[in-house]
Parts: sequence; C-alpha cells; structure tokens
Amino acid sequence: MISLNVAAEMAVWGKWLGDGLSKTATGASAGNAVFGIFLTLVVFLIGQWLFKISNGFFIFQPLFVGMVLGIFILFLLAKAFGTDTATFYKSAYLPGGNIIFWFLNPATIAFAIPLYRRNDIVKRFWLEIVLSLVVGLVISLFIIYEAGKLFGLSKGTLASLLPTGATTAIAMPIAAAIGGNPAITAMVCILNAVIIYALGDWLVKVFRINNDPIGAGLGLGTAGKTVGSAKALQLGSIQGSMASIAVVVISIVVDLVVPQFASLVGLR
Amino acid sequence: MAANKKVSSAEAPEKEQASPILIQMGIFAAILFVSSLISPLFPASFPVPTPVVGLILLYVLLATHIVKLRNVEKFGDFLISLIAFLFVPSGIQLAASLKVLQAEGVKIIIVVIIATIVMLVVIAYTTAGFIWIRKHVFHGNTDIDQ
Repeated sequence: MISLNVAAEMAVWGKWLGDGLSKTATGASAGNAVFGIFLTLVVFLIGQWLFKISNGFFIFQPLFVGMVLGIFILFLLAKAFGTDTATFYKSAYLPGGNIIFWFLNPATIAFAIPLYRRNDIVKRFWLEIVLSLVVGLVISLFIIYEAGKLFGLSKGTLASLLPTGATTAIAMPIAAAIGGNPAITAMVCILNAVIIYALGDWLVKVFRINNDPIGAGLGLGTAGKTVGSAKALQLGSIQGSMASIAVVVISIVVDLVVPQFASLVGLR
Repeated sequence: MAANKKVSSAEAPEKEQASPILIQMGIFAAILFVSSLISPLFPASFPVPTPVVGLILLYVLLATHIVKLRNVEKFGDFLISLIAFLFVPSGIQLAASLKVLQAEGVKIIIVVIIATIVMLVVIAYTTAGFIWIRKHVFHGNTDIDQ
C-alpha cells in the first residue's frame, strides 16, 4: 500500500520535477533541494517498513534498501527525462542529499558521548585497545591490499577499500585524500555491515572468536560498525561496550595509519 | 506551557536538568566551527577530517569536565539514532559511479567479503594475543565488571 502511494506521489513530483530540472539546467532554481530530502526520507521509510514486516531479514536493512531503491528510482526518472543517471543525480538529487549528508558532521562528533560513557573501560584497557587495533589493522590492510591486487582491482578502487575499517563519515574523506572514490567507500562500509549481519554468528562460531570477549568486541565493532556493535551486544555486555569503543577508536587509527600505508605501497 | 514545565521539573528534582536543545546544538556548532578551523592545518600527507577533530575535541571537553554529559547528551543521542538515515545520501551517491560498478562490481563484492572476514578475525586474534600478554607476562587483571 505504501508503495502505491509512493508511485502516485512520484507521478505528481515527476511532473513538477520536470520544470525544476529545466530551471536547474539554466541555473535558475534553488528550490529543488526538497526532492532530494523527500526521496531520501521515502526510500528509508520503505526500508524500515520492509525490515519490520520481514522480522528483520538481513537483506532488508533500511539503509541498504534505501540505497538500492534510491538509485533505482533515480535511474528510472533519468530514463523518463532522457538524461543519464549521473547527470540526473547531480542536478535533481544532490542539492537535497547534501543537506542530509551535512548532518553526518555533528553526528560523527556525537560518537564522543558513548566513548566517554565507557571511560572506565577505556582508561583501564587503552593500551591493549590501541595496540590491538593498530597491529590488527596493519595486518588486515596488507591482506586486503594483496587480495584486491589478486582480483585485479584498479588503483582507485583499492584506495576506496583501504579506509573502510573506519566509520563511513571518516572513511570517505580519507578515501578521497588517497585517490579513492568516496561513493565506493560508502557502499563498501554499508556492505561490511550487511555481511556481518548475515554471517556474524556463523563467523564467531567457526573462528571461535568469543574465546576472548574483548577481542570479539573489537573485531565485531571494526568489521561491522554499528551493526557489529549490536551483534557484539548479543554476545555480552563486555563485547558490546568494546565494540562501540572500537567503532570510534578504529576510525582515529585508520586516519593515522591508512594514508601512510597508501604511500608505502605506492597508491599515491 | 510554563506551568507544565514547572510540574515536570518538580517531579525530578534530584536529577540534573538537561540543557535546552538549542544550547546543545550551539555547543555542537561551536565544536564543529573550531574543528573546521583546525582541520586544514594538518598537511595533505596526514589528512584529519573536520568531524574527527570534533570527535576528539568533544571527548577531551567531556573528560576534562568542561562540558558535562547533560549539556550534549540529548542532541548527541538523537543524532546517533539517526545515523543510518544520514548515510542514505552517501549510498545513493553511487548513482554517479554506476560505470565503476559495471566494470568491477562482482570483484569488489568478493574482495569486500574477504576484507570483512579478515578484519574481524585478525583484530579479534591480535587482541586476544595482547590480552594474553597482559595476563601472563605482566600478570595484570583482565576482569571487567558487567
């Protein structure tokens, strides 16, 4: 039923958008930021609804559905208006998308709050946490880099993959700085979370990861970001708090390590 | 309106009042502004994005009790609860790079699956190693209160 409403909405909006688009082409319109904001809300809410009625089936993660559905709608609309998807995205979606995107800045800063709430654990284990994340990340980077080369990924794509240990908002500017494509980085960060959601329990069992609760937390937090933190919390409260610490600390570690690694292997 | 506020504050007199939401926003805006001035000072070989500077700044301010949790908690938790939604535009950004996906999509997905498993396993085992060292070499305490 929701999708029907959306179809009707889109028809009306599409007509309006046609005018907006021709105005954008002449640089006269500033009003169509509304379309980007509206589309983002609609696809995300559809994602949440699907996630709810499917009892949390992993492929229906709201963010993942929102991304795929959003691109698909832009692709269809671009066809309808006779332009290519990239041009249509830039002129119609980007003004609104950028407004929502901007709020990632204060949202990233806000992660200092959960970090501070676990300050007792951070204070006691800071050396182990930092050492483990630095050493673990360097080893992981070498393996990921070699695996990427083995599959013949281009330099730009490799550079987009390396910073994905960090949370998306931090990984994207680092990817741009080392010659990667931030859009690919964002997709990979989303995929990381989807993979951990789908395979997390199985991987924890097969690799006996829960033998060390602190390690399980840091590993899940790094590999799966906030989704990994939720998985870790299911294993126990130590794992959960370690995972949320890892999400923040690994982002800072990535920022320190990845640009140096990229120069070392000659990516830039 | 004013009467309602008085009642609700009278109900919870012991608990410290959260700062008004506009003040909380103001603190975030101030941190963001200062961070945006600090971030360009880093050299291009060592980029530190504005939000990372801000994250560290807010953590330091909280740890030194210059900013209290009640000054930023409400707005901060609200933003974190929205984080998945805020990432939707980053995902849709891919619409501008569909050509890369056509060329390398399957390869990227295979490498990402490998990368995710590698990060999980390597970091978990590295940590287990360092915790083992703390326990057996330095005889440190590794128990954590639940």
